[in-house]
Amino acid sequence: MGLKVKLDHVDKKILENILRIRLSQMVVNEEYKAGKFKIPIHLSLGHESLAVAVDAVMRDDDRLLLTHRNVAYNLARERALSPILREYCLEGDGLGRAALGSMNLMNPKRGIIYTSSILGNNFPVAAGVAFQRKNNNPEAITIVLGGDGSIEEGSFYESVLMARTLRLPLLILIENNDWSLATRICERRCDFSLKKLADSFSLRFDEFLGNDPFEYIEKLEDLKSYALKNEEPVLIQAHVATLGDWRLQVPEHPDGKFINYHAGPTPSVELKHSALLKTSNDDPVFVISKYFNENELERMTKELITQIQYEIR
Amino acid sequence: MKYVELINKKICEEISRHEDLVLFGQNISAGSCLGGLTKNIPIQGGRKIINSTNSENSLVGFGFGLMLEGGSSIFFMKQLDFLFLGIDHIVNTYNIIRNTNKGKSSSFTIMPVIIDSGYQGPQSSSNNLADICSMARVSGYVINNIHDAKEIISNHLVSPGFRIIGVSQRLFQKEIIDFGEQVYTGGGGGFFQYTKGRHASIVCFNFSLSQGMELLEAMKNNNFSASLFSVNTCTKINWKSILDDIALTGRLVVMDDSKGSNILLDAFLVDVNAVSGCKKTVIMRRNIDDNWLNPIADEVVFDNEQIISDLWRD
Repeated sequence: MGLKVKLDHVDKKILENILRIRLSQMVVNEEYKAGKFKIPIHLSLGHESLAVAVDAVMRDDDRLLLTHRNVAYNLARERALSPILREYCLEGDGLGRAALGSMNLMNPKRGIIYTSSILGNNFPVAAGVAFQRKNNNPEAITIVLGGDGSIEEGSFYESVLMARTLRLPLLILIENNDWSLATRICERRCDFSLKKLADSFSLRFDEFLGNDPFEYIEKLEDLKSYALKNEEPVLIQAHVATLGDWRLQVPEHPDGKFINYHAGPTPSVELKHSALLKTSNDDPVFVISKYFNENELERMTKELITQIQYEIR
Repeated sequence: MKYVELINKKICEEISRHEDLVLFGQNISAGSCLGGLTKNIPIQGGRKIINSTNSENSLVGFGFGLMLEGGSSIFFMKQLDFLFLGIDHIVNTYNIIRNTNKGKSSSFTIMPVIIDSGYQGPQSSSNNLADICSMARVSGYVINNIHDAKEIISNHLVSPGFRIIGVSQRLFQKEIIDFGEQVYTGGGGGFFQYTKGRHASIVCFNFSLSQGMELLEAMKNNNFSASLFSVNTCTKINWKSILDDIALTGRLVVMDDSKGSNILLDAFLVDVNAVSGCKKTVIMRRNIDDNWLNPIADEVVFDNEQIISDLWRD
């Protein structure tokens, strides 16, 4: 039996947001499998806790710069699937008016000021945004996302150097899912310590593990305050698992060839009655399930599926 | 007055008209200040000067980030070659900005000193700004003399949008070319006409105006008068006035000192071919021979007598 925690209005909203984003992505996946999209979409199943935590700490005048894997963040900020889905279908009344697709989907009204499909491209842009914000709105934070692949680009190092030198209140949030396309870190490069890199710049560093959204929110609030008060960037490495892997049946692999999820529809995810994909802390839905009894989670899931399907009808 | 002194003066005048500019680049207010280009830039008011890191990719991205947030800036830099490091942003980041409504009222200008003074070896001497502008489909200008300096700096150094304005290191310490009055300015500072002649049209691209002036003088000595044009834009524009002049004179010399393979002169010639009445065209490109990667003088010298002979040879 799961623990029942005190679910005040705010806490329940956080859990509901995570579920809603998960289910919305599963709906997108179903549409994708049905061949509804011409554009490439990189789902972010497994990134929901982080996305909801970032959303929770953002004020109206904060800024967020994203990567091609932005679905969870756009869903978190927009709080609705329909405008995003219409954009994916390149309809003129979609969130980006059919001008952005998925990889560059941004939402300036909700603080997502820039989204780049070029690895590492958004780091220097974030430095420029943070510099201008510092002068015009010193209480606003700028948050930039990257992946473990993007920190291999020279622009990452240059931007950390620039942000530190110019004393920019900037949260650099690296989602480390271990994969860049089809290679793990150990297959494509030596490992290195982001903490030591941060130390070498005298930067505060933090590591996010375990997908508990409340822990992430608390940490992010603290890091945001630190960055603003000290006028310096903060480097965060968040360990995530991008869910949706599957096995491809080929003669050479009797058990099926392991395919890590990178982009497109995933055949291993089906929208039925449960949002759970993995029974481990890799899955934010598994992590938050401990806050519900079984019936409550199932009930909320059904309600949300109905709401989402009504929204996009 | 020297070329660099005049440009510096115009830059300072223009900057002083705008509050809240961010001016950045390596050593822009230290040492020689880019050979005098950025000396004494006014920093009163809300303007900020940053002697930046050596991070051209990020510096270009930084400028676009400022633009997204409504800030205007100028990135001063030395060596066009370093700008290759920022091509991702010039192409990809700017594509995002101009595809949305963010940052459209802000200005971002990159001003590289193009090292065309020679003896640099296989690197550090790229002078084909038009290639970069073509790849990214962005506006670009080169400054040759007092007239285009005034026009280009006052109209384009700080104005909504993005552009690259190149200056020539080779010209830095030379007396600024001053025709007195130019005949015609076209294309928003994209090209200038300095003389009007009857016998030939001379059209100079990139930084080849001084070679064009030498040819003009040689033609005068042979009792020919020529119209002299300098094309300062790095991308194709409407050059109707030039084409009209070619239709009248019937003879064209076109020259370009760029090192690239596809140069703006070629795009111009496509339009010239559509002009009726052009009896003869002489095309003068930079000679790329076997030692072009070595530390050589990098000068462009044309045989004017041969040009004149070719122009009137049937």
